[in-house]
Amino acid sequence: MKKNVLLILALGLLTACSGNMGRGIPAPVETRGQVIRAPAPEPVQPPVVGRVIEPIVEREVRPVEIIPPSEPVRPPTPASPVATLMASVDTAVAAGELEQAAALCERALRISPRDGYVWYRLASIRFQQQRYSDADGFARRALGFAGGDRGLVQAIDSLMARIAVAQRQ
Amino acid sequence: MTTSKRKTSSRKASKQPRWWPKYLLRFMLLGTVVVAVWCVWIDYEIRRDFSALQWALPARIYARPVELYVGAHQNAADFTDYLRRLGYIQTTRVTEPGQFNPAGSRIVLQTRGFAFWDGTEPSIALEVGFDGQRVSLLRAIQGGADVPLVRLEPVEIAQINPGTGEDRLPIGKEEIPQALVNAVIAVEDQRFYSHFGVDPIGIARALVANIRAGEIVQGGSTLTQQLVKNLYLNRERTMRRKIEEALMALALEIHFSKEDILYAYLNEVFLGQDGNRAIHGFALASQHYFGRPLQQLDLDELALLAGLPRGPSFYNPQRNPERATERRNVVLARMAAQGYITAEQLEDARGATLQVSARPTSRGGGYPVFMDMVRSDLARDYNADALRNEGLRIFTTLDVSMQASVEAMLDKSVQAVERPTKGEPAPLEAAVVITDATTGDVRALAGSRQSGYTGFNRALLADRPIGSLIKPAVYLAALESGNFNLSSVLADDPISMKLDNGDLWEPKNYENTTSGDVYFHDALERSLNLATVDLGMKVSVDRVAYMLSRLGHTDRIEPYPSLLLGAVNMTPVEVAQIYQTLASGGFRSPLRAVEAVTTGEGEPLERYGMETDQVADPASVFLLEYAMQGVFERGTAKTAAPRLDNQLPLAGKTGTTNDSRDSWFAGYGDDLVGVVWLGHDDNRETGLTGATGALRVWTDIMTKLDIQPRQSLPPADIQWQSVALRPVRVAGARNCLETRRLPFRVGALPDAAVSCESGGSLMERVFDRFRGW
Repeated sequence: MKKNVLLILALGLLTACSGNMGRGIPAPVETRGQVIRAPAPEPVQPPVVGRVIEPIVEREVRPVEIIPPSEPVRPPTPASPVATLMASVDTAVAAGELEQAAALCERALRISPRDGYVWYRLASIRFQQQRYSDADGFARRALGFAGGDRGLVQAIDSLMARIAVAQRQ
Repeated sequence: MTTSKRKTSSRKASKQPRWWPKYLLRFMLLGTVVVAVWCVWIDYEIRRDFSALQWALPARIYARPVELYVGAHQNAADFTDYLRRLGYIQTTRVTEPGQFNPAGSRIVLQTRGFAFWDGTEPSIALEVGFDGQRVSLLRAIQGGADVPLVRLEPVEIAQINPGTGEDRLPIGKEEIPQALVNAVIAVEDQRFYSHFGVDPIGIARALVANIRAGEIVQGGSTLTQQLVKNLYLNRERTMRRKIEEALMALALEIHFSKEDILYAYLNEVFLGQDGNRAIHGFALASQHYFGRPLQQLDLDELALLAGLPRGPSFYNPQRNPERATERRNVVLARMAAQGYITAEQLEDARGATLQVSARPTSRGGGYPVFMDMVRSDLARDYNADALRNEGLRIFTTLDVSMQASVEAMLDKSVQAVERPTKGEPAPLEAAVVITDATTGDVRALAGSRQSGYTGFNRALLADRPIGSLIKPAVYLAALESGNFNLSSVLADDPISMKLDNGDLWEPKNYENTTSGDVYFHDALERSLNLATVDLGMKVSVDRVAYMLSRLGHTDRIEPYPSLLLGAVNMTPVEVAQIYQTLASGGFRSPLRAVEAVTTGEGEPLERYGMETDQVADPASVFLLEYAMQGVFERGTAKTAAPRLDNQLPLAGKTGTTNDSRDSWFAGYGDDLVGVVWLGHDDNRETGLTGATGALRVWTDIMTKLDIQPRQSLPPADIQWQSVALRPVRVAGARNCLETRRLPFRVGALPDAAVSCESGGSLMERVFDRFRGW
């Protein structure tokens, strides 16, 4: 019994030396035969900044007009297959060939399915075609892959706001 | 009286000679009128039909083309196989479109170019390098510049044929090479430009030649007569038909130019048989035998085609190359004799080696399971006549290499897990669905363990209980409710429930044991039935049914408690739709087999673009996926983990139905979603669970397809926290010595009873250590 009390006191001292004192964080502990899972799967893109995937509707928006997205947000690296396809998307959009542009975006997504910019362009094209439900879905998917690209996130937010207004009309 | 009688009879006798000419004349007159009417009718018929001549053209179905770019998932062997499917000819020096030269991990080729619905892909000579499973080099031969992206021609996987079974590629007058015209005229009808549809001199010459040879070596029919015979008449050899043929030929020559007649002949003539498909016209024959358009053929190849109408089967260059070469040389000799080619051209062409395309013969019937899905999708917008007759071009999502891998693997893989059955022996059957995890494109389908099987299409039609495959929907509904998280404690204890009909429902775990208190994620990973029912009843069966419909199940669902354990029937394709939505992070994109339809000339008619709809909260789907990855790491699929070492993490779920009648596995990586079903058509027991049957087949297929690991990005409102490894319900009883870090949504963090993140006074931690000893 005496031995146990001494043991508890000794353990208490050891625990107090663990460096987490007063911060409310438990000391690191060993598991026995169990692997502690890594905190998160290794992301392949920059981490997502704190945004909620909801259309921002409270900001003032212009009445819905069928216009192309204000400007390309993040053209991918030149000469990559996706950049080549995106250049063709620009040409198709300029020529009013929106369905062809959408198909080119889909080709790009088969090559690079996590490219938020390509999802955003597809959302913009569907918005121009007044296919608001699809535009909304693609914009939300774009947001999930936008990572820390603030410019892209803002463009997506703006598009989602316009989609929300258009859907209400 | 006697005199009178004699008189009468003599009058009768004298009348007889005058009676016959009268009737004969009338009869001849009538005959002339009939023949005249017949001629007028034939003339009318020819004018009416020939001026509006249109062939019934089959719909052509294309697979998704291979896209080449540096980094593309493609190896040299599969790519070579793809080129062979396209009918490319292997050569040591690439000089023309449709040729390739493999040299180790590099392949030099010249694409043919193709008019896709969204634009034309030009022909290009390329060098393609491979580094294992990836393309490492893509360079233009001309100029040596790197090429960012090249889309190859699509493989034609099937046709929807007209009732006649005829196939052709109509070609414009200006596209017909003059050398072909010369060759055809030289060998079939050398007086074509001087006769009037029927050629008495030609008939006499043929007669003499045949008598001399003692057999039929020449025909006396003109090209015009042959055209009439093919277009309007049957093969009957009667005098009436011969006369009709001659009259029609005359009518054609009166009303139409020689050019028109020749053009129609070149498009109409029968030039070979490919399975149930009849090859008509020189343009299609060129593609069929040489894999190149007519305009790209050399003189020797054109001469070979020109020699085919005499006996398309007898002179088939693929089956009888020697005969075909002899016939080609006869054509060339006639051309030289009639002054169409010089002696030098004759010698060059005669010396050319016959190189024909080895096009696989499976075309037209090689993908029956996928074609069922294509037909079903097209039926929404096109009637059967349009598909059979209008020459539509249909662009689908099928990945021929992936389909070939699945088919090559499936029977062997099913055989490896098959167990003897009770009663009459019956083979275990299978269905497989592989889709693109991002777009929902169907990339491969199997409706039977036997490839090319045309019977019951189990991928689309086997409507079977899905068992535990439903559990992700139960757990997702719970996570979305906000009342549960991955460390919620569920009761895996015996349940007895009185149903509305008065029956008592007493579900059991698969191993007939109970686990007591278990974590939410653990219950899904280990597929615990009792814990799932505990959870589902708290969430409500209606909510689970609603979640299923949001994920993509379209049939009406009866919200009985047994739904929680998968008492709902679905086909493998319907299951794939639900798991597709999970793989997309909660975005439902309807599975798609057809991407676009164009006219035969390439004018777009319809495009079935990708659709997407957010149906579940991304954070909840992320949390669910943690547990579904745990299925491989700790749960019912952990037996597959060693074989999937290069592919993990993957997410998936096993499914087993009552008495092991169905063995399911559905799972996904970053690029692919795969569903495998095993079972018997008569619903007998398989002796397999999801883990011992379908999972093993799924693993075989997915390792072969090199499925890519999941790389799910955590949504912004996800936090990782530590919880005690063992679940407890009582505050202060948890042991933080052994912990696991789990993801949580902000606002649904772990309960204090299990959290090892923030709690813990000094004494509690001391006691944790003490308990750990």
